[in-house]
Amino acid sequence: MSRISTAVLLAMLVLAGAMGLKTVVTTHGDGSVLMANGTAPVPPTPWRNGTAPVPPTPWKNGTAPVPPTPWNGTAPVPPTPW
Amino acid sequence: MPGRQKADDVPGTFEYIIWFVGALLEASVVVCSLLRGPFRRYFTLNLYMSTSVLVSVGRYLVFSRHGWTSPEYTYFYYYSDAILTICLYFALMGLYAIVFEELKATMPLRVFMMLLLIGTALFSYSVVHQSESRMLTHYVVEISQNLYFVGLILTYVLWAALLKLRESRVRVIQIVLSLGVYFSINAANYALHNAYPNLRVIWEYLPPAAGMFLPIAWIYAFMRFDDEARLAPGRLAVVPR
Repeated sequence: MSRISTAVLLAMLVLAGAMGLKTVVTTHGDGSVLMANGTAPVPPTPWRNGTAPVPPTPWKNGTAPVPPTPWNGTAPVPPTPW
Repeated sequence: MPGRQKADDVPGTFEYIIWFVGALLEASVVVCSLLRGPFRRYFTLNLYMSTSVLVSVGRYLVFSRHGWTSPEYTYFYYYSDAILTICLYFALMGLYAIVFEELKATMPLRVFMMLLLIGTALFSYSVVHQSESRMLTHYVVEISQNLYFVGLILTYVLWAALLKLRESRVRVIQIVLSLGVYFSINAANYALHNAYPNLRVIWEYLPPAAGMFLPIAWIYAFMRFDDEARLAPGRLAVVPR
């Protein structure tokens, strides 16, 4: 049992270390993907089609401050009218 | 840039040569392994190399039919890369089994490796589960990246274990060290890419160079050394008379 527990602990440690290293390596990343298997030419990242700037999200019309939501308080939220 | 057509930035002759030679070297690893006998013992390594050859052929077919920037090639590339990274993880599992075979620690080792794989899969899901579009693609790329870094750490742990256990089998040492170099080159290259994006000449050609280095190092390990070849002791104990 203790050997299995040690294995679990080690697995968590390695995972934490790997994700920490990944964070360090990709800190200043531009969203590109590390591709290391094989020698084939790397295509563009699938969610980066083109180099045009990303438009604003469609539900943020204008730059005015967002009003408070109408259901302040702790009462149960009613269903949406549509 | 050698062989690259700058006008539309598509792969040129140089890239095709690298690609072909890389696939040829990977196939040579499997052939050398079959010729020299350790195919079954290093089955996971050969599985990785065989898969890599098949993936290269598949990528070439998709590439030649649809083109470099086509969605077909892009998705095939990234999905097949995830498969290759999982195969590389299993190759590491096989190396761990070989290094620790004398310690009779097969069961805890399997538990450790499988837990790590499951943990990485769950962690990757937790990172991408809020993606609104292309979640599966995000997940595939994320798990591939995370497994890559897990593999990097595991290789260094295995390297430390080799030193601690005073492992003297030359072939095992050669394979693990070359894997460590391979992982390190790619990680360093990625960090360099992010830190100095202008040094494109370096970061664009290091991954293919590393991709060719690994099969060459493994061919050398399979052809040059027997499974029983041992390192000569660095220094002999002096027995006082």
